[in-house]
Formats: sequence, structure tokens, C-alpha cells
Amino acid sequence: MSDPYLDDVMEGRIQFGFLARLWPFVRPYRRGFAVCLLILLVSFVLEMLGPWLLRFAIDGPMRDATSDDDARLRVLLWYGAGFLGTTAAGALLGYVFGLLTAWNGQRVIRDVRRRLFDHLLGVSLSFHEKNPAGKLTTRITSDVENLNELISTGVLQSIFDLLKIGGVLVVLFFLDVQLALFTVATTPVVIAISVLFRRNAQRAYRAVRSRLALQNAYTTELIGGVRTTRAFGREAAVHEKYMARNHETADAWRATVLHFSVFFALVDFALRATTVGLLWFGGSAVLEGTMQPGQFVQFWLYYALFSGPVKELGEKYNVLQAAFASAERVFHLLDEKRFPPPNPDARPSARRGAARIEFDCVAFAYDSGTPVLHDVSFTAEPGQTIAIVGPTGAGKTTLLALVARLRDVTGGAVRIDGDDVRALDPASLRKRIAFVAQDLFLFTGTVLDNVRLFDPQIDEARVLRALETVGAADFVRRLPDGLRSQVEERGGTFSQGERQLLAFARALVVEPDLLVLDEATASIDSASEARLQHALRIALHGRTALVVAHRLSTVRSADRILVLERGRIVEAGRHAELLARRGAYARMLAQVEAPA
Amino acid sequence: MLRPLSTLRSIARAFGRPASLLRRHLVLVLVGMAFVPVHAAVSLWMPRLLGNALDQLSAGGTTDALRQTCWLLLVLAVVEAGSRYVSRKTLIDASRNVEEDLKNDLVAHLQRLPVAWFDRSRTGDVTSRLTQDVELVRFVMGPLLLHGGSTICLLPAGTWLMASMDLPVTLASLGVFGVLFVAMRVLMPRLHRWSKKSQEAIGEVSQRAQEDFAGIRVVQQFGIGARERAAMATRNRRYLLANLRLTRLRALLNAMSHSTSGVVMLGVLLVGGHQVIAGDITVGQLFQFLGYLALLTFPLEILGWTLATLPRAHAAGIRIEELFEVEPEPDTGASPELQGRVRVEHLTFTYPGSTRPALQDVSFTLAPGQKLGLAGPVGSGKSTLLSLLLRFYDPPRGAVFVDDHDVLDLSPRALRALFALAPQEPFLFSDTVAANVGFAADADLTFELDAAVAAAALDQDLPQLHLGLQTIVGERGVTLSGGQRQRVSLARALHSDRPGLMLDDTLSAVDPVTERRILRGLHEQRRGRTLLVASHRLSVLQDADRILVLDGGRVLEQGDHHDLMARNGLYAQAFRRQSEAAALESLPEDEA
Repeated sequence: MSDPYLDDVMEGRIQFGFLARLWPFVRPYRRGFAVCLLILLVSFVLEMLGPWLLRFAIDGPMRDATSDDDARLRVLLWYGAGFLGTTAAGALLGYVFGLLTAWNGQRVIRDVRRRLFDHLLGVSLSFHEKNPAGKLTTRITSDVENLNELISTGVLQSIFDLLKIGGVLVVLFFLDVQLALFTVATTPVVIAISVLFRRNAQRAYRAVRSRLALQNAYTTELIGGVRTTRAFGREAAVHEKYMARNHETADAWRATVLHFSVFFALVDFALRATTVGLLWFGGSAVLEGTMQPGQFVQFWLYYALFSGPVKELGEKYNVLQAAFASAERVFHLLDEKRFPPPNPDARPSARRGAARIEFDCVAFAYDSGTPVLHDVSFTAEPGQTIAIVGPTGAGKTTLLALVARLRDVTGGAVRIDGDDVRALDPASLRKRIAFVAQDLFLFTGTVLDNVRLFDPQIDEARVLRALETVGAADFVRRLPDGLRSQVEERGGTFSQGERQLLAFARALVVEPDLLVLDEATASIDSASEARLQHALRIALHGRTALVVAHRLSTVRSADRILVLERGRIVEAGRHAELLARRGAYARMLAQVEAPA
Repeated sequence: MLRPLSTLRSIARAFGRPASLLRRHLVLVLVGMAFVPVHAAVSLWMPRLLGNALDQLSAGGTTDALRQTCWLLLVLAVVEAGSRYVSRKTLIDASRNVEEDLKNDLVAHLQRLPVAWFDRSRTGDVTSRLTQDVELVRFVMGPLLLHGGSTICLLPAGTWLMASMDLPVTLASLGVFGVLFVAMRVLMPRLHRWSKKSQEAIGEVSQRAQEDFAGIRVVQQFGIGARERAAMATRNRRYLLANLRLTRLRALLNAMSHSTSGVVMLGVLLVGGHQVIAGDITVGQLFQFLGYLALLTFPLEILGWTLATLPRAHAAGIRIEELFEVEPEPDTGASPELQGRVRVEHLTFTYPGSTRPALQDVSFTLAPGQKLGLAGPVGSGKSTLLSLLLRFYDPPRGAVFVDDHDVLDLSPRALRALFALAPQEPFLFSDTVAANVGFAADADLTFELDAAVAAAALDQDLPQLHLGLQTIVGERGVTLSGGQRQRVSLARALHSDRPGLMLDDTLSAVDPVTERRILRGLHEQRRGRTLLVASHRLSVLQDADRILVLDGGRVLEQGDHHDLMARNGLYAQAFRRQSEAAALESLPEDEA
């Protein structure tokens, strides 16, 4: 059984294709990265110089008894100055390198993040319905962040390490072929240990990750579900289950500790053993007189430069693998098709007051193939109100979504003022249409920003006017900071009725040519009920509107009622006509107690 | 001199508990600690051997002596690796064990805290104390045990060995390291500050993205993508700036530690080289000295790092302790066999910290087996009334009675064994449907499970779930629809088989046809169960023995359905409007 907490892609293979896909993002900063590379090269040379200086200091002034002490000291000072110079330059370059990689890398990351966010705002609703917001947010934050590793660790650091390993090897061979051969012969052992460790540690870490995810999820649950636990007196059972999960995670952690303890011990031993080998072979050479002590020390120091990156190879590989997994997830999302698809021939939909809407033999089915609407045809003349009634699942909400082209018809056409919506620029089309949903979605921010949806072009006076019109101005004024009050998470500040009034205000403030409305079911709160009726009358006045109706008063005043059933219009007409026909509509209304 | 004392007390408060938990794993700690000096001794011996070998090389040593040195070094390397392995494994394991214990104890404690406390705290805050804070304490504890022990052995011994060779160079090198140490202490808090700012900035990015994706319908319907992109760009920039600041500090720290070791090397080389030339020490001794320096660098770095992290771990320890200091729910009071006769007399209740009463002067009685209906808008006090009967909150004395006992005299457990609650926003655990339904029982009794599933009309959905009752519902039940979640919650309440049942708007997301089916079934199988039903949908309350219409915590109307319809007040008006809506959503062919 698959674990619901595991991500789609757990670990990426090292696929260099992703580097190519990253290139367009890196390209604008290529000069900066080129400088980074240059700095790397110079640091590499500087780092190679250190042991050399030391060798000459030892073989030269320290051991050379021919010249006098003062002269030897002077030479020593020169070497010291050289050493200081390389150290200072190395530190400075390291600093500049750190700044530059961050300066460029962070900008690349920002661009990727921006692009991914843009993209996700523009993909289809069905995609969002399948992918929870939390998951997409993780892609935007941590996965994009991991891409940084691909650039800094993946490319720059790898180049540096390979340079170092290669360069040091060349120097080692140059210094002493026999010793160099010995070093090269032992390296595979270190790499083998490292690879073996990586494989085991990876498995151990995977276990940690999935168990920790389970445990942390359960932690959140046991806190969020505390009422349920208490209500049923299940405290002991919950604690027991938590302890079991906690123990599993701790076991997984202890397994990683084992791997690390063994690995560090083995690698340290292998490196020490190599050093001892060097001492034996090198020392013998010195004793035989084929090698200078300083030269031997130099070799030794170069070996230290060499063993560092070799030891870290495994760790780098892990980081890279995680980065490639993130790259795969990010680019996978970027591959998702935009909806509506970009259309260079699209015309803008001009505002011209109340719109004329025409559904012409419209059919719609979801990607899964489930048909929702069949052969739906009707026309809303400018200023008309069309009420849609019918059972849940008849396709009412889907029908509304087609108008603003949130989804595309699978047959027939939807036209606004005679233009097929597919031929129009979606942004200009959506500007003409305003939605009032059953429940208001509130963003973090002020009441003002929630009504005008962060559009700075709409000033406070206009927002106030809209609130005034729908009868929401008084309760907004009563808030501690009026229009500028912060909306609480989940909108706890407002009652249901108030939320609906705000939804009306949000729709009216943009002065739409078409209003699309999903009428809320009545609550027992009669004060807001009266205000809602009033708001609805104002909103519909002189505007074309499509309304999923839940109130008798709404259908009664509608210009046309569509009775929708299983995706088909079974009846259409005005209230009185439909009642007189004694068909489906009349039967529906017959259930209402004493229709007035 | 009060400050040091209070600081000491605060440290004891933060780390007292982890330290005492460490005692449970004393054997591990003792074994690990025993190997720390072994490792230190071997590590300190090696540079001396190497230095000697080097001298012998330049001053005519023999191959035999070299061979001997090499064998000795190899043996020492084995001992070094072995002792390191043992102490690392035992000491880090001990810190992991303490983490496990600390989490278990904390959860056990949380299970005893009053529900009212959870309502006041944010889930995210409690979770982060239980996860990140505990982990931070462990994060410092493990290295402190392992490397702290090493440092205690290595630092004095190494310094003494170095000083006995060359006092001025030793002092100079340690002085330079000291400067680095101080610089780290100065820079680290800044680093933490900016890393916090960077975290906050990415938090804002994340929050905005999350909201836009959750509200993608609004974003697309109103075509506000461009505006959201601009808003996101601002947040992105803030994050970028914080990160650049952070990397500048990191780069500075790196450069400093690099140049410090360079400067120390230089000093040793110049002064030591001078002495070599003067004949005071040999080249081998110079290397021995450098070897000691390299040995000391690591523990010093770790020490600096740990000391820099210590304040954060201290704060984390305090936050954990704050949780432990919260008073648990008292589990006293009588636990008689309760019938479920409810009497509420002039109940006025204000939530702690609020000024407006949530309930005002509410009175009613309910005999066992009767059905009470609660009607009213959101925030009218329906759920509060139910919470008081379960003692999630304590009502004032003399207002709420069950079987003529004041609920304050009954144990919360007894009350909760009387009523099963199915709340409006049901909480599902990410487990199987069966486990969620059978939550109240120790073993899932398949037969009774099936009965509860059927009574909640959940059986009709099972074919759609790919593993039926064994389907995992995902975090908080995300894979289920709202209506399905509510019905799982109802099935859970039914399965718990309590004498009373509380439905707090439990069926609000269930379609009307299914709802009717469920209610019909519930009515038939009530078997004398007391029912307390709160609902927006008034049709659900129609057959209640008594309906309270609440608004702003007050009872506005009271009576059975016929009384209330006859009054033609709030209830009657809302009832008619809801009938209209139901009619407009009904299946036309139903009546044909």
C-alpha cells in the first residue's frame, strides 16, 4: 500500500536534462556565474600554493645550515609573507565567492519561484482540484529552494571538487610517482566505504523521513482532534499510538546514528591507515635519500587537500539527489498545460454595459469522461435575470463556470455579445463578469482589500459606495478599524449573512456587465435575511445575471427559469408559465408549504 | 547578585527535565563517556609519534624504527576509530532516547490538559513545541555530550602539551582562536536574527501562495492573477533581501575562520621556524605542534557552535517547560451511572477572556429519551451549550444539572461516557474509515461497525472508496467529501453506543435525500437514546420534543415544531424559506 505522505518523487536520479531546463533561468546571470567560476579557479591555485611554500620553507631556510641565521630568517619571513598573502587572498576570495553565488543563485531561485507561481495561477481548475494547496505551496517554497543546491552544490562545488581532486593528483604524481600510485590505489577503498555508507544511510534516512512525517502528522492530529479524543475518552489509546509512532521514528534515527558511527570510524581509519602507509613508503624513500623531508611533508599536505573532497563525495551526492528530485517536481509542474491555452489571436472583450449571453447546444464532460451537461441552449438578453433550479449534481455550478471560461465546453459554444468566449482574451472577459459564491473566500488582509481584491485602482470611496449599496456599510463601520480592519483567519469576524453581503459588495464594486450568482440557502438570522433580499434586488437591477436560485422570490422575479436535471434543460420559461404547464417545475413547488 | 541566580534558575528550568531523563539512560552515557578520554589520549599521542618520526627521517633514523612507529600508529588508529565509534553511538543514542522520552511525556501531559486550554492555544504553536523545540534541545544535547566531553579532555591536555613545548606560540595561537570565538559570539546572534527574518519572509511567501491556491476560484473568476503576481513579487523580494543579508554574514564568518587558521599557521611557522633555525626545536616538533593545533581547532569550533546555539535551545527548553507547567484537567468528581436527564436553569456563560456572554439566561429540561432541537445562526450559542454538557468548559455552579447532579460535581469522564458527540466540523484521523468509525472502542467489532456505517448511510459510499472500509482517508479526511466526513463522524458517535447523542450540525454538508434517510433510521433505532440536535436545517428539528431558537446566546423562541409554526416568528419564517430552497433543489421526478 502506498504511503499517503510520500511525495510523488522521492529521490531523483541525477538527470542532467534538468540542468538544461534550468539554463534559461541561469542565463540572465551567466556573467555573474562566470566570475564565480573564475574565483574558484584562482582559489584553487592559491590553495595549491600553500603546501609548496611550506616545503620550501622547510627544505630551504629551516634545514639549510650553509648560510647564516639572519639570512635564513629573512628568507623565512619572505615565505611567511607569501603564506599570509595567499591566506588573506583566499579568505577574501572566499567571501566574495559566497556573496556572488548568493547574489546570483538567489535571483535564479526567485525567478523560478515567480515563474512557477505565475504558472500555477494560470493552470486549470481541475488541476487545482486534484492538487491540494499545501502541496503546491511546498513546491513553491522548499522544492524551489532545493534548486539552489543544484546550482551551488551541483555545479559550482562539483567543479571545484573535481578540479581539486584532479589537480592534486597531478601534483602528487609530479612530486613522487610511487607515493602517488599508493594514494590512488587506496582511494577506491575510501570511495567504496563512502558509497556503501551512502546507500545504507539513504535507506535509513528515507525511513526517518517517512516515519517522521507520519509522526508529525499524528502530532498535529492529536492536538487538532483533542475534542474528539476527549469526547470519547480515548486519551490512553491516542497516547499509546503516539508512543508507537515515536518509537518507530526514534528507531529509524538510531539506525542512522549506527550508520554514521560506523562510517566515520571506517573513513577515519582508512585515511589514517593511508597516512601511515605514506609515512612508511615516503619515510623509507627519505631514509634512502631519494626524497627530501620537505618534499615528503609537501606530499603529505597535498594528500590532506585530496582526502577532504574524496571523503565528502558521498554527502554531496545525497544533497544533489534531493536537489534533482526537487527539480523533477518543479519542472513537472511547469509542464502542466496552462488553461485557457495562450491564444495570440484572442480579441479583447469590450465593456459595453449589460452583456448578452448565449449558450448554444453546450455540452460539457470532465477529463474523466463523466458527462455533466448535454445540449444546453438558452439566451440571456442584456439586463435579464436567468434563474437556474434543479437537484444537486444537475450541473448548475458547472454551467456557471463555463461563462467566464473557467472550464471549456466539450461541445457547442458559449457566446458573450455574439463572440465565442474561446476567441476572447480571458483576462478582459473575466473583468466583465463578477461572481457571488455561496460562501465568501477571504484573503488575509483588510476588509478594504478583500472587497476590492487588492486592486489599488479602486479607491476607498468606491468600496464604501459598494458596501453602502448592499447594506454592509454599517457593520463594517462598527469594526475596530472600519474598512482597514484585518480579516481574521477563516473570517471568524463575520456572521454568515455578513459574509454574503461582503460577497455582493466584492462583485458590485467592479461594476460587472454580467453577474454570476450562487444564491445561499436561507439562515435563521432574519435581520441579515432582509438585507440580503435587498442586496440581491440592487445587484440584479439593470444587469444581466445568471442565478442558481434557492429562494422563491428570486425565481418569481426572474425573466426566465431553467429547470436543469441530469445536465439537461427539462423546462424553461417564466414562473407563471411554468406553473401553468403543471410540469416538473410545478411539481417541485408543490412541496412548499402554502406557497403564497 | 540576583541576576546570576535567576539565570541559573532559568537554565535549571529549561534543561532540568532533559537532564533528569538522561539519567534513565545512565549506562549508555557512562559507557560512552568512558571511551571519550581513550579517544583523546590516542589523538594526542599521534602527533608526537609523527613528529618524532619526521625528526628521525631527517636525522638518520633506521628503517626498523620507522617500521615500529608505523605499526604503533596503525594500532592507535584502530583504537581511535573504535573508541570514537563506541562513544558516538552510545552518546548520540542517549540523546535520541531522551528526545523520545520527552515527546512521550509531553503527549501524555497534553492528553490531560483541559479542552479550554487547547481552544486558547494555536495548534501550530503547540506542535512546534512538541517537535522543533524538543528536537532543538536534543540537537544541542547530543554534540554537547560527545564533543563537550572531548573538549574537556583535549583542551587542557593539548594546551599543556603545547605550552610545555612553546609557551609564547601557544598563547598567541590560543589568543587568535579566542578572537575568532568572540567574533562568533558577536556574529551568531545576528545570524540567528536574520535567519529568523528570512524564515518569516518565506513564511509570508508560503502563506500567500497557499491562500491563492486555496482560493484559486476567486483568483480566476475575478481575473486578479496579475495583482497576485505583483503582491508575490514584493514578498519574494523581501525574502531575497533577507537571504542576501544572511549569506553575507555567513560568508564573513567563513572568511574569518579561514583567515584565523591561516594567521595561526603563519605565526607558528614564523616563530617556530625561527626556533628551528636557532636550534631550539626540531622540524618534527614543529609538526607535532601543528598537529595539536589541528586537534584543538575542531573541538573549539564545535564549542563555539554549541555555545551559540545554546540560547536558542534554552528558549526551546523554556517553551517545553511552559507546556509541562499548564495545570491538567481535574479528574475528580463522582462517576455514577447516569440516565441523561438534563436540567438547565438560568444558565449564563461567558468564555474566559471574553466580555460578551455566549449564553444568557438559558433554561430548559430534557427527560431521558427525548429529543432537543437547537436552532440559530452561527455564534448563537448552540455549540457552547453542548460543550458545557460535556464539561469542555465549566459552567457556573447551580446552572447545569445531569440527573440532578451539578455537572461540576461529576467527573468529565462520566459526562463524556453519557453523550456521544458528532461535531459540525468532524475531526478524522488519517487512518482507515473503519478505524475512524471504531475510534471509541479498543477492538473494531466488525458487526457493530457495519451497523453504525449503515445507520450513517455511509454504506452507499463504500463502493466508491477503492478499499471500502479499509480506505485511508488522508490527512483530516481530505480524500472524502464534506458530507462523507460528517457521516463518518456520525457513524463514530453511533458506534460508541452512548445513552445520549449530540449532533452539532452534523449533517450540514449531506444532501437532503440522504439526510432524510439517516434521520428516519435514527428515529427508528433510537431505543430510548436522548438526542440533542443543533442544526441550521430546520427540517431536521421538526420532530424534536422541544426546540430552542437561539440568537446571540438568548432563547428567543421555545416549543415544539407546531407551537413555533403557530407563532409565525423567526422559526416559522426561516422554515418556510428553507422549504422553498429544498423544493427548488428537489428531483422533479420524485413526486411524479
